Amino acid sequence: MSAPGGRHAAVERPERPPGRPVDIGDPGRAAATVVPRPDGRFPFHNDIVADAARVPGPAGGELHLLAASVRGLSHLYYGKVRQDAFGHLVTRDGRWLVAAVADGVSAGSHSHVAAEIVTRLGCRLLVEQLDDRPAAELDWRAVLDGVGGEIVRHARQRLGLVDSTLPDVAGRLAATALFAVVAVDPAETGDRPVHVMSLGDTSAWVLRPGAPPAWDPLQAVKNDGSVVASAATMALPGVPVELAPPVTTSLTPGEALVLMSDGVGDPLGGGTGEVGEYLAGAWREPPDPFTFIAQVGFRRRTYDDDRTVLAVWPVQ
Amino acid sequence: MGEDRAKLLPFYLVIDMSYSMEGENLQAANDIMPALADAIAENPIIGDKVRFGLVDFADDAQVLLPLCDLLDPDITLPGLMTRGGTSYAAAFRLMRKQIEHDVLQLKADNYSVHRPAMFFLSDGAPTDHDHDWRSAFHELTHYDRQTGTGFAMYPNVIPFGVANADPRTMQSLIHPADGVKQMRMFVMDEGNKPAVAIRAMAEILISSVLNSGMGMATGSSGIALPDPDQLPGGVSSHTADEDFL
Repeated sequence: MSAPGGRHAAVERPERPPGRPVDIGDPGRAAATVVPRPDGRFPFHNDIVADAARVPGPAGGELHLLAASVRGLSHLYYGKVRQDAFGHLVTRDGRWLVAAVADGVSAGSHSHVAAEIVTRLGCRLLVEQLDDRPAAELDWRAVLDGVGGEIVRHARQRLGLVDSTLPDVAGRLAATALFAVVAVDPAETGDRPVHVMSLGDTSAWVLRPGAPPAWDPLQAVKNDGSVVASAATMALPGVPVELAPPVTTSLTPGEALVLMSDGVGDPLGGGTGEVGEYLAGAWREPPDPFTFIAQVGFRRRTYDDDRTVLAVWPVQ
Repeated sequence: MGEDRAKLLPFYLVIDMSYSMEGENLQAANDIMPALADAIAENPIIGDKVRFGLVDFADDAQVLLPLCDLLDPDITLPGLMTRGGTSYAAAFRLMRKQIEHDVLQLKADNYSVHRPAMFFLSDGAPTDHDHDWRSAFHELTHYDRQTGTGFAMYPNVIPFGVANADPRTMQSLIHPADGVKQMRMFVMDEGNKPAVAIRAMAEILISSVLNSGMGMATGSSGIALPDPDQLPGGVSSHTADEDFL
C-alpha cells in the first residue's frame, strides 16, 4: 500500500467494471463457495479455452464463430481436469467450416484426451474427405472409426494398455462426438447447408429468431420422458453397429448453429425455460468473446458439469 | 419438454424403531441426522443436490421428515422414539407410496430426479409374515424395463443390519442384487456393540452421500458406497450373492 501522493499516485487506472458472473435462476450455494483446485495430474490442461473468428468464404460469404469450454464447478471442487473439448477447421478450398464438440466420459481418468482426439482428428478427417467428395456424401462411419481407432492406439501406445480390449480402453478414455459441417458461403437461396453427426449426448441446435426465439434441436432431447434421469451415454471409441443418419438442415442469416456439451444441454432442456430464454437473447447476435465465456459458464444450482459451446452465425 | 430447475439426488433413511432400539441405540440413531446435515454443509457440490427423507417403522411406519434440503434453515430435525414391533411390510409399503409421491412432486416442480437411494437400518427380524413383507418389498423394487411393468422409480436399497437383524434376511433386501449398479449391505460384526455399529452405519451413510457427489463428477449417476477396505471397524460389507455365513 502506498500513501496518497506516493509513487503510484501518478498512475491512472482506467475504470472498468469487474467481470461479473452470469446467473440464471438460483446460482446455488456451490457457485459462491467452491474453491477451485488444480488437477495435479495434468498441469498443462487449461481450465478455460476460447476462440473467436470470422471465417471468410471464397465467394465472399462469412461465418462468425465463437467457442468456449469452461471447467465445471464440480471438477473445480474435486480438482479434476476439464474433460470437454471443441475444435474447428476450414477445408482447403475454404468452402466448408468443420466444427466439433466432445465431452469426455467422466469415469475415465484420461477422457479429456479422448475429447481432444475426437475434436482434432475428427475435424482433420472430415476436411480430408471434403477434398474430394460433397458434404452430403461424407462417410461418417469412416470418421468415427478413424477417431475410435486413434483413441485405442493412444491407450495402447501411450497409456500402457498394451493388449487392452475396447471396453478396457473405454474405461480409461472415452468421449462423445458431435460434428457439424457448415457451408461458409450461402447458396443462391441465401441458405447455408449444414450436416450434423452426433454420437452421445452432446447436442446441436439451430437458434431461430422470433418472438420468442426458438431452440430447434437437431436430435432427440436427452432424458425427455424418462421417469428418473440417467447419465448413461454413447461414446467413442465404441462405434455402434447401427449409426443414426446425419442430420441435414440449413442456416439463414439471423439464425445460429449452436453445438454444446450436456453441461449446457442439460440445463437448457427443451429450450423453452429461463435458460433457453436467456441464452437465446444473449446469442441473437455474436457477443464479444469475453462475454461469451461468462455466458457459457453461467451459474445455476446443481448444474456443475463442464460447459462447452461452439456457435456459428452467418454474416449477412 | 421445458427445462429443469436443478437435478436432485434423493436419499431416504428408513429406521427400525422397535422397542429393542431403546437406550444407547436410540441415542446413536438420533445422532445420524445432525451428523449428516453437518457433513453436507461442508460440501457445496453435494449440498446443492441432496434431498433427504427420514422414515421410521415399528408396528406401523411413518414419515418423520419429508424429503427436504437439510441445509434449509427452516428445517427442524425430528427426534426418534421407539414404539413397538418390527413390521418390514409397513416400511416397504410406505416407501413405495412416499417415493412415488416425492418423485412426482419434484418432477411437477421441474426438477430432474436421479434414482432414490434407501438406507434400511434394522436391529431385528421382521415381526410380520414372511410372505407379507416379501411381497411388499417386491412391489417397492420390482421393475421390468422391457415391459414397463412394476415400479419405475424403485430405489437402490442398502440394508444396514445391527444387533439381532438376520443377515440372510438383510441380504435379501439388497437392491439391485446384481448387474453393474449392484448394491451391498452392511452388517454388524458378531460381538460388536449395536450402538457402536449404528455409529459406524452413520459414517457409511454419510460417506455414501458425499461420495455420490464425487461419483457424479466421475461418471456414475447415483449412490457410491464406500470400498469394503475403507469401512469403520466392527461392521462388514457383503453383496447379495456372497456366501458369507
